Order: sequence, then structure tokens, then C-alpha cells
Amino acid sequence: MTRVLLIGSPNSGKSLLFNRLTGLSQKVANFPGITVDVATGKLQGMDDVDLVDFPGTYSLKAISAEEKVAVAQFEKALEDTEVEHVLCLIDATRLEKSLFFTLQVIRECEQHGKAVTVLANMIDVLEANNLSIDLAALETAIHTRVIPISARSGKGLADIAEQIRAARSAGAQVQRPHLTDTPDELLRGTAHQLAQRLGPRGDVLVRTQNRLDAFFLHSFTGGFAFFGIMYLLFQSIFTWSTPAMDAIESSLAWMADGIVPLIGNSILQDFTADALFSGIGAFLVFVPQIFVLTFVIGLLEDSGYMARATLICHKPLRYFGLTGKSFVPMLSGVACAIPGIYAARAVDSPRKRLLTYMAIPLMPCSARLPVYALLIAAFIPAETFLGGLVGWQGLAMFGIYFFGMFMALVITGFVSRARKDKFDDLPFVLELPPYRLPGIKPLLRNAFNRAKHFVVKAGKIIFAVTLVVWVLGYFPNYGADLGQSWLGHMGRIIEPLFAPLGLDWRYGVAILTSFLAREVFVGTLGTIFGIEGAEENMVPLVQQIQGSDLTIASGLALLVFFAIALQCVSTMAILAKESRSGTLALKMFGAYFVLAYAMALLVYHLAALF
Amino acid sequence: MEMKSPPGAPKTLWSLRRGEHCAIAGYDDLLAEAYKVRLMEFGFYPGETVSCLQSPAFGAPKVYRVNNTIYSLDDEIADHILVESTPSRD
Repeated sequence: MTRVLLIGSPNSGKSLLFNRLTGLSQKVANFPGITVDVATGKLQGMDDVDLVDFPGTYSLKAISAEEKVAVAQFEKALEDTEVEHVLCLIDATRLEKSLFFTLQVIRECEQHGKAVTVLANMIDVLEANNLSIDLAALETAIHTRVIPISARSGKGLADIAEQIRAARSAGAQVQRPHLTDTPDELLRGTAHQLAQRLGPRGDVLVRTQNRLDAFFLHSFTGGFAFFGIMYLLFQSIFTWSTPAMDAIESSLAWMADGIVPLIGNSILQDFTADALFSGIGAFLVFVPQIFVLTFVIGLLEDSGYMARATLICHKPLRYFGLTGKSFVPMLSGVACAIPGIYAARAVDSPRKRLLTYMAIPLMPCSARLPVYALLIAAFIPAETFLGGLVGWQGLAMFGIYFFGMFMALVITGFVSRARKDKFDDLPFVLELPPYRLPGIKPLLRNAFNRAKHFVVKAGKIIFAVTLVVWVLGYFPNYGADLGQSWLGHMGRIIEPLFAPLGLDWRYGVAILTSFLAREVFVGTLGTIFGIEGAEENMVPLVQQIQGSDLTIASGLALLVFFAIALQCVSTMAILAKESRSGTLALKMFGAYFVLAYAMALLVYHLAALF
Repeated sequence: MEMKSPPGAPKTLWSLRRGEHCAIAGYDDLLAEAYKVRLMEFGFYPGETVSCLQSPAFGAPKVYRVNNTIYSLDDEIADHILVESTPSRD
């Protein structure tokens, strides 16, 4: 098996070309730094050749830890005897951006005796605007074959396979060394001169982009467009996902109704109903949200708008140690932390991505809503004023939502100041890509892949935890009484922990089970209080809680606890996968639990004063 | 990166207003060498003409054109790029 490496600067259309050449679905985005992992696929028409897609980088002289990894991987790959050929992709509309990197790649390939071909992408854009670059002069200057292509239209792609075949038949040493010992400083000067001499002349591309930027970055129209687009993004997570989420829940319930009665053994029957169907349902229900959000974010990235949105909200977020690129992941976190954590891939600075990870679980996600609704209904007066326009319960809901966002910014601001210069960061230099019409098919494929990644990677962890919680709640009395189960005993064991908040074992058990998903808190309390279907109709449960000895101070403490605590196994699983650090997920769980507890205790004592 | 150039210091890229253009004169000593190199790789090469295309409100990063590429830079980095005036191109 031989391998061909595909390398290029960010935003040059590399991922789209990779998809075209392999038929595989790799993330395609009109936004710098999207390709995070090294992807591999069979070159179409050449089954014995693997195409390897390297993360986009502007230079082989890395300035961040992630770039260093990408460059080191590339240099290691060049040592590999199976690697025969390197395809270096450049953006023909912006030669000056790509040529220094191209010369660096040619030099490395010469040093390692690898064939290299330069692919000048977006040649169709030049032609459409009556522009051109002097390809023949470029080939002569860099002593390397340059193929004009369009990854979008497919133009020139057949020539790539032909060139690879020709290089294979010519043998390994196809490159005439001419840059082998040239230092970066000289390469930089050469690249600059070549770009000036051979690059496209004319302002037509930039003019169109600038006209749209004048609208989208204008203080008034830009702000209006920003809020409108972000509202649509946020709304789409709910509106477009809800029918699919309902369909998944109904299908699982229908399957459970059909299958469970056929099982003879009662333990197996309970296991199938409660652990298998409920457990699978608990995480499958997130899939539509992940799919829809990935698709909508892809639309914004490919259209070129995402880079503008990043620019607009960079300044206020920078104050809290974040970047404009943190905004969309955080906004997504208001619907659900899981798609938000996936969206944080776009944050290229490792330091700011870590801070974004820290902010997302504090955003008031939709799973908190049933918990807030229950506690607010139980403890906050339903009294309204100003003709029903304002009410205490509405204000409480707004307050607790705002509190989560406030805490997210306070924590990231504090951590960024406490850990200044101690971990990797990048300055804010963002290439603003041209506005383009996105291709729908690659976006749909990418959204499907992201949803599949969630099911395959996080599903195992989530299901394992679900199983453990089910076993603890079912035995030793076979589900007859949750209070007498191992979980119930655990609730009593941890009762002293929650007693300072005025909470007894029942709330301790509900907090334990809510680790599966926060809304399980409501269902568990319903079970303990002997109320069927508490999730759908909270009124009897609200009355039970009001009739119990739980005080308003404890209710407020619970609200604050749920606003901060990382009570979600799915979030932790995907956080561990995306950050590639199970330790980070565990540390965040521990830190947010301690903070949630401390804040809840403070609120409990403050409320008790009144 | 948060250090600002002192008052009376040479003009920086951040001081450019929308529609203005200038030539890159160099970089100040506070900017890390790796970032200087990266900026040159982006095209912010000494002697190169840069235009300020957009200057959004509330101190948001400004939009600059260098050759045919458009970048957005915030003050933390644009304030370290020294510039000099160039004759009007229009």
C-alpha cells in the first residue's frame, strides 16, 4: 500500500478536495482550522493508494502546540517509505498566502526524496472574474508541476490521478533539488516576489467581499444581522430537532411496548424496559440536536459568515479570557452542552478552547428546564403584576438562566487571569474567507458523521453509567421500592452531605440519578413521592414538595446547585472524547460540584435570613 | 500580548481608520518573534501596503486587506505592527 499526502493552508479547500478524491466525507468548511484530525481514505480509481489529509497549517514553522503536532506528523510521514507523493494545495486567488508554505513543502519533499505536485485550487473563481495566474511561469520558478483545479466543480481532478500515476512510473526521485538548503528567510522573500509577479491582478474578488462586509460588520446592520442569524441558529436547534427527538422517543416507547411483554423473566423485563430502552433513549434523543446544529454551523462556516460573527463578539468575550470563536459553542450550550462541545472544535487556540469547554456546561441547557420549572413552581409565588406582563416565577426563571451565563463568564475570566501565560495561546489573526454559497450535500454528510461519532464514541460510556445506576436502583429488592434499593441506601449515606442545604435522602437520591440527565431529577422525585408521570404533569409533585418540610431556602439552594453542577454523563463523556482528556472531565465535574455546593450553601443561609 | 505601545510611539496598524492605507514599517520589540514570522507569512511583509477595510464599533477587531487576502486583527496584535504613510492610491 502506498500513500499520498494532501497538505495545504487553512481555507484553501483542502477538505472538499479530499472528499472529492476519496469519496469519503470529511469536514468541509469555509473557516480556518477546521480539519482537526488526520483523515485517510482510498484514492478513487487507485485502490492501492491511500490519501492522507493533514490538518491545515499556514507554515511548517509552527507557533502553537497543535501546529507543532501537525508539522511533526507531516515530517514523520515524509520519513515513511510508503509515502510516495505529496499534493500541496494552494488558493490560486490568493497566491501570497500560500506560496511560502508551498516552497517549504517542496524543500522538505526534496530533502526526503518525495514527489510533490502543487494544486492551484479555485481556478474557476479566477476564470469567472476574468482573472488568471501565470501557471507556466510559476511551474518554471518553483521547478514543480502545477495543476489548475477546482475542488468545487471537479475541474482538473482527473489530472491529479494521472500525475500520481506518472510520478509512480517515473520512480521515487522525480524532484530536481533546488531548494534543499534554502533557509526560511530566503524562501519567504522568493514567495513574496513570486506572488507579486504571478498572482492575479485586480480587485474584483475583494470588492464583492468588502461590500458584503460593509453590511455584515456595520454597527447597525451588522448587529441586526448577527442577532437575527444567531436567533435562527438557536431556534433551529429546538424547532428542527424537536420532531426528530419526539420521533425517537415515540419509536423507542413503541418498541419497548412491543418487546418488553414478550420477555418472560421479570428482571430481564425490567432491565430491557428501564436500562436498555430508557438508557439508549436518554442519549439517542441528543442525536437530532447534534445533527441540526452541526448542519447549521456548517452552513454559517461555508458561507463565510461564521468568521464575521467571530469578529463581532470577540472583544466582549476577550475580557473573560475567551475569543469570538467561543460564542457559537456557548450559544449552542444553551440548547445542549453536547453540540456546544463539538462546536468548540472551531476554537483554534488550545487555551481558549479549554476555557470554552469550561464555560459550556454552565450555560443554561434545556435539560435544566424541567428542574427549574419544578422548583420555581414549588417555591416561587405565581403572583404577577403590570397586567400579567411580569411575574415572580418568570423573573426567577430569567434570573437562574442569567446566573448560569454569568457564572460561565466569571469562571473563565478568573481562570484565564489565574493561569495567564501558563498554557498555549494564539493571537487573534483571523482570515476572513470570501462569501460563498455552501454545498448542502457535504454538510449533510458531515452532520451525519458527527451524530454517528456521538453515538459510537460517547454511547458506550453513557450506557455503562446508565447500567450501573439501574443496578443500584433495582437491587436488592428488584425495583419494588427505590428508597430501599442500594441507590436509596447511598442517598441515606450521603444525606449528611446535603443536610446543610436542608435536603433529606430523597433529594440526595434524585441528585445521584440526575447524573444520567438533569431532568431525571424530576422523574426520580416523582417515583419517591409515588407519583406516576411526574415529567409530563408536575402539579401533583409540586403539591407534594410544597407539603413536605422542604423550605424555600432549600429550594433556592437546589436551583443554584443545578445551575452550576456538571450533572450530565453525556456531557462528561463527550468532553472527555473531544478534549482527549478524561482527567479534564473528572476535574471539571469535581470543581463544579464543589462550587455548586458552596454557592448553594451560601444561598441557603442568605435565604434563611429572610 | 496585552502590552500596549507607549504614548508618542510610532504609528501602528491599529490606528488606521476605515478607508486608510499604509505601508508596513516593521514590528515593535514587544511582539514575539514567532508572531512576527507568522504575520510575514500572512503577507504583512515590511514595505507591503495594507488597507483598513472595516473598523467595526466597540473596539471589535478591524478588517485589513493585504494583497488579495482579508484578515481581521485585534488591537493586541495590530498595535505591535508599525506602519508608515503611503501616497493615496485612489
